[in-house]
Amino acid sequence: MIQATQLRKLYKMGDSTVHALDGVDLNIERGESVAITGASGSGKSTLMHILGCLDRPTDGTYQLTGKTVSSMSDWQLAKVRNQHIGFVFQTFNLINRTSAVDNVAVPLIYARQTGTRKAAMTALDKVGLGKRAHHKPSELSGGERQRVAIARAIVNNPEIILADEPTGNLDSRTGEQIMGIFHQLSDAGTTVVIVTHEMDVAVQAKRIVRMRDGRIIEDEKPTDARRRELLAGAGLVTGGHVNNPIE
Amino acid sequence: MFFFLRICFMAGRSLQANLMRSILACLGVIIGVAAVVSAMSILEGSRRDVVGKFESLGADQVMVVNGSSDRRGSRAVARMSLTSEDVHALSDLPSVKTTCSESTSTAQIKYFEKNMVVQVLATNENYTSMNEYAPIEGRVLSREDVRAARKYCVLGYKVGKKLFGETPAVGNRVRIEGIGFTVIGVMEKKGFLGIRQVDTQVIIPATTGLSRLFGTKYVHMITVQAATPRGLDDTISDVKRALRAEHGIRAGRPDDFQVFTREQITSQVDDMIKIFAVVLYSIAGISLVVGGIGIMNIMLVSVTERTREIGVRMAVGAKRTDIMVQFLIEASVISVLGGSLGVATGFALTRILENVTQVLETYTTTASIIWALGMAIFTGIVSGLYPALRASHLDPVEALRYE
Repeated sequence: MIQATQLRKLYKMGDSTVHALDGVDLNIERGESVAITGASGSGKSTLMHILGCLDRPTDGTYQLTGKTVSSMSDWQLAKVRNQHIGFVFQTFNLINRTSAVDNVAVPLIYARQTGTRKAAMTALDKVGLGKRAHHKPSELSGGERQRVAIARAIVNNPEIILADEPTGNLDSRTGEQIMGIFHQLSDAGTTVVIVTHEMDVAVQAKRIVRMRDGRIIEDEKPTDARRRELLAGAGLVTGGHVNNPIE
Repeated sequence: MFFFLRICFMAGRSLQANLMRSILACLGVIIGVAAVVSAMSILEGSRRDVVGKFESLGADQVMVVNGSSDRRGSRAVARMSLTSEDVHALSDLPSVKTTCSESTSTAQIKYFEKNMVVQVLATNENYTSMNEYAPIEGRVLSREDVRAARKYCVLGYKVGKKLFGETPAVGNRVRIEGIGFTVIGVMEKKGFLGIRQVDTQVIIPATTGLSRLFGTKYVHMITVQAATPRGLDDTISDVKRALRAEHGIRAGRPDDFQVFTREQITSQVDDMIKIFAVVLYSIAGISLVVGGIGIMNIMLVSVTERTREIGVRMAVGAKRTDIMVQFLIEASVISVLGGSLGVATGFALTRILENVTQVLETYTTTASIIWALGMAIFTGIVSGLYPALRASHLDPVEALRYE
């Protein structure tokens, strides 16, 4: 599904050059759930932007569903984002002046599809927000807004969902509900990539990729025992059962 | 097409979200378009008005006035040169059917305690027939009246009404500037003939007028009717030759009179209107430019404000062209809205001007409305271009990070 080889991303900051990505190799299979973690500045966001076709690597190749994306034009990238990728952001990024259902329909409009409202309603039903479809984002709670954002991400039936700190602005209970939706999507065969610095979110993924200084320093498929260890390392849980590992 | 409609709808939504701001952005275009529409209406109205008045000068008639055509500028100071002898000389020409002289002056007319300020027209017996102007009471001037310089007068419609009301006017004696005249007729209601409001006019024989009232041998204008309508050019050259001979102008010297046909007057009016048009359109154009700057300003604010939204739209698959089209349409919607409101305002404004001034004639053509709307849309698109380009060239990653 995702095949990235030797991805590099350089930023010029005045005289110095920052290596946001410094030779990243990453393969993600269809239906996998992957958490990308790391401290801020580790390059995880840059990696997500490149994986999400919002940005191009300075060097290296990136293939998505067998197509080399790293050499595509802006126009082609927009098409790939529209048809193959769904984004979920930390701050939801909904358009405040329109209703939930209209927000969800936006990707379909750019796909030049008809019957967008019906498809948007189906997507909202999937995230359990069918009844709130005609409310504006300002009338919805944080968790509800994130669900609208997820509905928008899945409305085009993309192969990949990319979520950037999706629970970062939510309380832990709501965060768990949102993670539950990601689990369902993953179970249904969608590839889910979550970028997070929260270990309790990361351990819910089948695979954890840890980054530091633009490189992958660890790429593991943890066992339950390892998960507990990771949580303990993060000072989050000392023993006990870990909820909902994505299988 | 469907996509286009959706984008239009989205544009409407985002303008609705900032209603007050959108209206203010429209304001410049509203004023600009209203200015264009009313300027065009007033100009076209005036043109039709003036040209319409000269319609009374038949296609087979030419008009001779005092003054040289070489001298540019004001003809108000033109030296008088046309005399009543000229009128006789011209009527003897084979290519001329009839002639009539016209001299006017403002005067006071009195009938017992009733009095009125009128325009006195000293002319001959041909004036009424050449202008297809008929009496409703009594008769018009006869050849004999003119030849004998009788103190007879024919009242314009309003003059007759004012002095005599419903009672018969014919046979009564009135005083014009203290001189007694006998009323021999009252004319029909006509409004304008040429540039003159004839309903408040009093017609007297040219001979009487020149000697008794004006104290001059010169006339203001001579109208000549050609013997055959097709021989207008021959008539003009005959008239010129005869007048030069009468006035003793040597070869090589310029005419001391001017000859016009209806077409020439119309085209002169058109030329004059064009000068006004350039001035008025420049002013209207400036206000549209100002309106355009208003739109551009609002669009730039909008793009900056919605940077994050643009990032999101790009993330979910909007192409750069989609973003560009969206903002261009928003700018066009503002301008179309402003344009339509401007047309309505301009239309209302011309109606009000017409009713308030009572003299200004206005005429709003469909072409002027289409023009104004087209200019508004053009302004909108041009001024929306830069903001739209800026929006479409945002980097999606940067735009998503924008706070």
